[in-house]
Amino acid sequence: MNLTIDHVSKRYRANTLALQDFSLELGSGILGLLGPNGAGKTTLMSILATITKPTSGSIRWNGTDLAADPNAIRNVLGYLPQDFGVYPNLNAVEFLEYLAAVKGLDASASRRRIDELLNLVNLTDVRKRPLGGYSGGMRQRIGIAQALLNDPKLLIVDEPTAGLDPEERVRFRNLLSDLSGDRIVILSTHIVSDVEATATDIALISQGKLVAHAAPEDLLRAVEGKVWEWVVPSSDVTAARQRYLISNTTRRSDGVHVRLLASEPPPETSQVAPTLEDAYLFCLSEHRAGAAA
Amino acid sequence: MKHPLHVLYHMVKADFLERVRRYSFLLTLGGALWLAYGVIAEKVTIVVGDGYRGVYNFAWIGMLMAICCSTFLSLCGFYVVKNSVERDSKTRVGRILAATPMRKEFYTIAKTLSNFAVLASMVFVLMAAAVVMQLLRPEARPISLWKLWSPFVFISLPSMLVAGSVTLLFETLPVLRSGVGNVIYFFVWIAGIAGGAVNHIEDTAGIHILENSTKQALQKISPAGSNTNFSLSIGGDHAWRTFLWNGIDWTPHVLAWRLAWVAVGLGFALLASLFFHRFDPARESIKEKTPKHKRNAAVDDPSLLPEPPQPKFSPASLSALAAHKHSRIPGLVLSEFALMIKGLRWWWYVVAAGLLVAEFVSPTTSAREGVLLVAWIWPVLIWSQMGCRESRYATESLIFSAERIAYRQLFALWIAGIMIALITGAGTGFRLFASANWPMFAAWLAGALFIPSMALALGVWTGSGKFFEALYTIWWYVGALHQLPTLDFVGGSRPSSSPVLYLSLAVALFVASCIGRRRQVAYA
Repeated sequence: MNLTIDHVSKRYRANTLALQDFSLELGSGILGLLGPNGAGKTTLMSILATITKPTSGSIRWNGTDLAADPNAIRNVLGYLPQDFGVYPNLNAVEFLEYLAAVKGLDASASRRRIDELLNLVNLTDVRKRPLGGYSGGMRQRIGIAQALLNDPKLLIVDEPTAGLDPEERVRFRNLLSDLSGDRIVILSTHIVSDVEATATDIALISQGKLVAHAAPEDLLRAVEGKVWEWVVPSSDVTAARQRYLISNTTRRSDGVHVRLLASEPPPETSQVAPTLEDAYLFCLSEHRAGAAA
Repeated sequence: MKHPLHVLYHMVKADFLERVRRYSFLLTLGGALWLAYGVIAEKVTIVVGDGYRGVYNFAWIGMLMAICCSTFLSLCGFYVVKNSVERDSKTRVGRILAATPMRKEFYTIAKTLSNFAVLASMVFVLMAAAVVMQLLRPEARPISLWKLWSPFVFISLPSMLVAGSVTLLFETLPVLRSGVGNVIYFFVWIAGIAGGAVNHIEDTAGIHILENSTKQALQKISPAGSNTNFSLSIGGDHAWRTFLWNGIDWTPHVLAWRLAWVAVGLGFALLASLFFHRFDPARESIKEKTPKHKRNAAVDDPSLLPEPPQPKFSPASLSALAAHKHSRIPGLVLSEFALMIKGLRWWWYVVAAGLLVAEFVSPTTSAREGVLLVAWIWPVLIWSQMGCRESRYATESLIFSAERIAYRQLFALWIAGIMIALITGAGTGFRLFASANWPMFAAWLAGALFIPSMALALGVWTGSGKFFEALYTIWWYVGALHQLPTLDFVGGSRPSSSPVLYLSLAVALFVASCIGRRRQVAYA
């Protein structure tokens, strides 16, 4: 199982370059796609989900070019978009039955699958309630269920945990880990902890370009020895922000505990173990510095 | 705090700019300019008395174009501007506005003025076009901009304000804001035009004023034939006789009537504020089919609904999907059909069933045809969902990423739409079939294919059901109800039916839908 993204660029009408010469090679596992707002994550997801075409470059699924045969991907694809709607007069079962028909599942197979999926996303009790009456979190769970209808080999999920409560978020993370064995999962999110918990690989994207593609351990190794904790009076926090890249601040009785990233730390700081969030910020700041230079 | 007029100005401006940048605005403006050209080319004119038209001077051209504005634009304009509250609701901007101190009356006045601004901008374009066209084809001098433009100012603009405010009223009223309102407005408009020709009370379009003035002028040269006719003639080559008309005498009485319509327009805007939901989710969301005894305040507001009981925390896992056959087209057709009729109320089925029975038992051919006409306007809101449901409910990304979806789903949807036409018109079809009346059976079948094909094509290309609701209702009224040759798509046993034409149109429209769908789906 192999997905190849080969020098893909996407230019929109307003001459905005959303993706620039983006290349990535993926095998089974979970790819966490991290990047700031407007980095091009959703554009990449839309291209992989065959919703939009790249301006240049190619996508290949097990060697088959998407441009030549888009159904090669579509028949193994599960896609949860960032924004999607539902038909408000249908209930969960009817909506999933409809999408199962659209995806080409036969009636008996889809009926069993829908029961299992509704149970999985904890919507069995409201299966007969019209979707128009669902809360945001419940709609998101319907979105997750529809993405899994056809047992996809390529699962693309864009901000999947938005609107989920903490318990559902943990369940979803577990589900992703469970699913990742024999398929490719691409998880785009702003929530670094989601990626931290599940991803086997991480791709950092900024301004439409691939900044880094590595295992989480490798990203953490890159920032090893560069994360410090510094206790400063609250009046000095603004000055500290101007001098250093700060990933977190915590107010305590002895002052503000500032977590900063620097090769040469200020005096009276203590080194701390890096987190993925530190690594993410560090990579992005290095990329921006490089781009500015 | 900002001055209210300043706030009002910016609200109207933002809404106005948002809408004039849409294709629907340009399309309507194009239609209005085409009508203006028709006026100059003598394809569109007012016929007074016994076959008279006015000499093409500034007064006549101004009157003619002003009356075209106040009739044509007040109909088409409704469908162009009837989305201002809906857009605020869809974009959630409305909820931001609702959280401000803005009063409901202020909002509805601003929206009315914005509707008016959009319609008035078309009037202004036509005012400029009128000058150019009169200079191209002068039949009489001298130049008088006052005579050319005063009918626009006193006739068209007040009627645009009324159209704008009625549109807003329709948007705020619970039933009329839906597709039902799009159909009903057409009949309200017809009634307004017909009533306006008779008296001042219903004369939004200014027809009565113009009729009186032109007839008085005609009476001077043809006392006998001046009191019979005042009508709009469209198309054809006619040799009208001419008379000189020097414009309306804008007496205080006439102006007071026109000013009264401005007051009526503002009154409608204030009336709309009584029904405006202020983006309260409990009032703007769809009604659910929960039995009344189970209803409570939470039902209409998803945020108030209880989450389903959470089972004890358990690790999530999913089994592999067992080997399965791929579903065929019939399954998808049934799914599309079920989706189309989902959400209909019981009374919809009662009326449809009643019409079906009436088709079977109608004693005369003309009675059966009448019933068929009603039976084929009854599902208009079902057909109007075709081709645009994905954009309306934002499900494109879910549907269009499925395998071989582009034409498979479109074809299934087309068949489902045809099924609706066949079922609702089954009584007529059966009787024509049983009596082996093959030409009329072919006409009936052509109608059953044509209606959903038109709905599908318009839905795919416009992304909205509104255009089908408007166009189909007008077509149904003009072509089918009045049996206008070539526009009569219903067939039955009438000489006006053209089955070959409508079968060909049905196929052409389906092909147009496929081309439209190709634009929507990458890798179609």
